[in-house]
Amino acid sequence: MRTLLQLVAVFAVALLLGIGSARYMIEHGSPLTTKRIGPWASWESEGNPNADPYTKAHLARSGRLPLTSTTARYFVANTDSTGYELTSACEYLIEGSALDARWWSLALYDEHGSLIENPSQRWSFNSDEILRRSDGTYRINVASNARPENWLPSGSGPERKLVLMLRIYSPRETNSSGIGQIADDRLPKIERKACN
Amino acid sequence: MQLRVPLLYVLLCLVLAGLIHIAAVLALPSLAPKNAWARLVPLGPANTMIQIPAFSRGHEIMPMMAPDVRYAFCRFDLARGPVRLKGAVPDDLWMVAFYTPEGDNFYTVSGADMKSAQLDLVIAKADQPVAEGGVDAPEESDEVFVVKSPVEQGIAMIRAPLSGQSHAASAEEALKATVCSPHS
Repeated sequence: MRTLLQLVAVFAVALLLGIGSARYMIEHGSPLTTKRIGPWASWESEGNPNADPYTKAHLARSGRLPLTSTTARYFVANTDSTGYELTSACEYLIEGSALDARWWSLALYDEHGSLIENPSQRWSFNSDEILRRSDGTYRINVASNARPENWLPSGSGPERKLVLMLRIYSPRETNSSGIGQIADDRLPKIERKACN
Repeated sequence: MQLRVPLLYVLLCLVLAGLIHIAAVLALPSLAPKNAWARLVPLGPANTMIQIPAFSRGHEIMPMMAPDVRYAFCRFDLARGPVRLKGAVPDDLWMVAFYTPEGDNFYTVSGADMKSAQLDLVIAKADQPVAEGGVDAPEESDEVFVVKSPVEQGIAMIRAPLSGQSHAASAEEALKATVCSPHS
């Protein structure tokens, strides 16, 4: 009897460990699959037919249909550069510089990946339309209320979590597997400003 | 009191956990009921170009779609033969990407790669011959570009990135004019 109970306990712990670790590595990623640079995370083999099982599972769960990482790179941030969750209760200043790619776009979503309703119908800025400074850098203000320069509205109403996605089409630099490479210091910084 | 967990149990637990981990990771893609394929199939029939409506906020077809890209897709089904994609490509930035139902992007061609801004290609399985048009065929028919698909059913997705919101209408117009149909 005692042995049976112990075996059941062993199985329960194994189930917890097995499912828990799988879930973590699929949702959050691990150094094997996911590159983290400051607040940004990018699945390096996303969309690639030769991707590892973790990346494939992540993709299936996400419901997205991204271009393969040899054609485009996607970087997702749900925290600011100091690690605090992005929220519509705070304002953020995003500072970035030119990216060596054919086209890029930085878009703001709620935590479900939906666009946020706003009167100016502004959900993203891309490399063709963003206002740049004379040195080629740009600043985007994420805020509920209108801001100068590039304003990305985080919407009104109850507080919501925010997610930023930077999509980069046809990066010009690639590694030996053909995966587009973006220099770490080229990814935008996300600085938290005032909070309500 | 001495707490004693036999080493055998610890080892058994770790081995079991490892097996469960592997099984869970491998099984997940087929257990994810709302992957991209499952979201796109209900939008319309196979071998037809379907535009994904922009800005259906709150009920987007897929999460995190680009607000400054217009999308149209063809769910191709090669069971009855190859399928042809045809249309004008007004912008070098356009991307035509081919996917398996699992979301593997097995081939991509950009607007910049297309000759004379025309999209004209045939999707076929590796073992499917693509009609060359015969001796009577007009000259241009042997220019047809063939994409070999590893799957019988899949998705061809056209992305039209917008240089600015003012380009939205013309991009939607151009996507509307692209055709996906069985290749006769």
